Amino acid sequence: MSRPENGVLAALPRKAYLALLPGLAPVTLAFGHVLYEPGATIPDVYFPGRSVVSLLTVVDGHEALEVGLVGHDGMVGIPLALGVDVSPVRALVQGAGSALQMSAGRFRKAFNASPPLQRGLHRYAHELMAQVTQTAACNRFHRVEARLARWLLMTRDRVRSGQFHLTHEFLAHMLGVRRVGVTEAASGLQKRRVIDYSRGNIRILDDAGLEAAACSCYKRATAPRR
Amino acid sequence: MSTPLAARRPNPRDNSLLASLPEADYKALLPHLERTSMPLGMAVYESGSAQGFVYFPTDSIVSLLYVLESGASTEIAVTGNEGLVGISLFMGGETTPSRAVVQSAGEGYRVRGAVLRKLFETSGEVQHLLLLYTQALITQMTQTAVCNRHHAVDQQLCRWLLLMLDRLAGNEVRMTQELIANMLGVRREGVTEAAGKLQAEGLIEYSRGRIRVLDRPGLEARVCECYAVVKREYQRLLPYAKAALA
Repeated sequence: MSRPENGVLAALPRKAYLALLPGLAPVTLAFGHVLYEPGATIPDVYFPGRSVVSLLTVVDGHEALEVGLVGHDGMVGIPLALGVDVSPVRALVQGAGSALQMSAGRFRKAFNASPPLQRGLHRYAHELMAQVTQTAACNRFHRVEARLARWLLMTRDRVRSGQFHLTHEFLAHMLGVRRVGVTEAASGLQKRRVIDYSRGNIRILDDAGLEAAACSCYKRATAPRR
Repeated sequence: MSTPLAARRPNPRDNSLLASLPEADYKALLPHLERTSMPLGMAVYESGSAQGFVYFPTDSIVSLLYVLESGASTEIAVTGNEGLVGISLFMGGETTPSRAVVQSAGEGYRVRGAVLRKLFETSGEVQHLLLLYTQALITQMTQTAVCNRHHAVDQQLCRWLLLMLDRLAGNEVRMTQELIANMLGVRREGVTEAAGKLQAEGLIEYSRGRIRVLDRPGLEARVCECYAVVKREYQRLLPYAKAALA
């Protein structure tokens, strides 16, 4: 049996992982797919492998802002691990790819029966909080270009690739700025040959350059193992 | 007639989270609870340093701040008698990137993290209550992140004042403009301007070191949606805190 792609599952003792296995269904998450809407009941949890899911807060009914990014380092559906069955955020697939899916009902049972899973997910919930905290501060203080760079690096670490697809509009939502702000920031990075960006395809050309362009928040965050 | 403050016997149950614990769990915790004074500006824990105690404020308010490398800071959540400070001690995270500072002086109770952690692991009910509080706190942090990005300083100031009022007795917040600027992560002039606007509208009265709220419904009409979103979530997740946060 191969090692699970997802870090939370990989960290479980073998026995605990095997107990979960029958309830886990391999799925492919499609780009732009909405897994949860804010205020709605969580139907399933997801352990991303290659996929990346963005947690967005909706404000004033339309504008959105990304507050968390979940990849192979975590699980989508953390409220369930805290005893809450409603999602406060929108969960949107931002990087297409593999994940393991489990129904909320099955997850609740498995979670209650597995202290190792409880410990792993409580620890992850804490890391997610640190991410939200940092995002709150980063949004307040840092320039769009530095935030864009940070965000591209966070995405790179989770998709484990320097190439991904993202539209301007999507990036504007993520960063909570207007489209023209994204255009400006992206063309700045592009001019310096740090990234290549055309028709929604981003390619990181210079990792060190991008890290230098990012705000300090990137380095301070506990970066997931790549 | 109200009892003079000095004559009131301090009670851990003045913290509504402690008050909501099942009797047996509360009794188990009681011998380990230590009454502690929480003076203004006291660092409950510092960014990046491990914490040894979990704090339950009774009449104090603690601000969780994120401090950037530049030294600039911004408040990401507040905790009063509806909650506790130091969730990483039972969530299993190692250190926190935030700093916790007493923002409104008062008292609280503290307990060694290891003691609470043990109770968290052995009592399903305690675990459930602490996790619900954690989820409520995440909601507050999330909303603050959004508010920081999208809303004007005067709306944020309204939100901040209402958060304080919900956790304080009376209608007066003791706080300098400089401290508020640090909390909101804006320049002092921004706070002066925002406070001036609210004062001109007759909502608050500002004098050196304190803000008196004159028209609370007015503030509630003026504030951005973030205040109501968080309050609703707190009341839904923490039914015990309903009265405390009324």
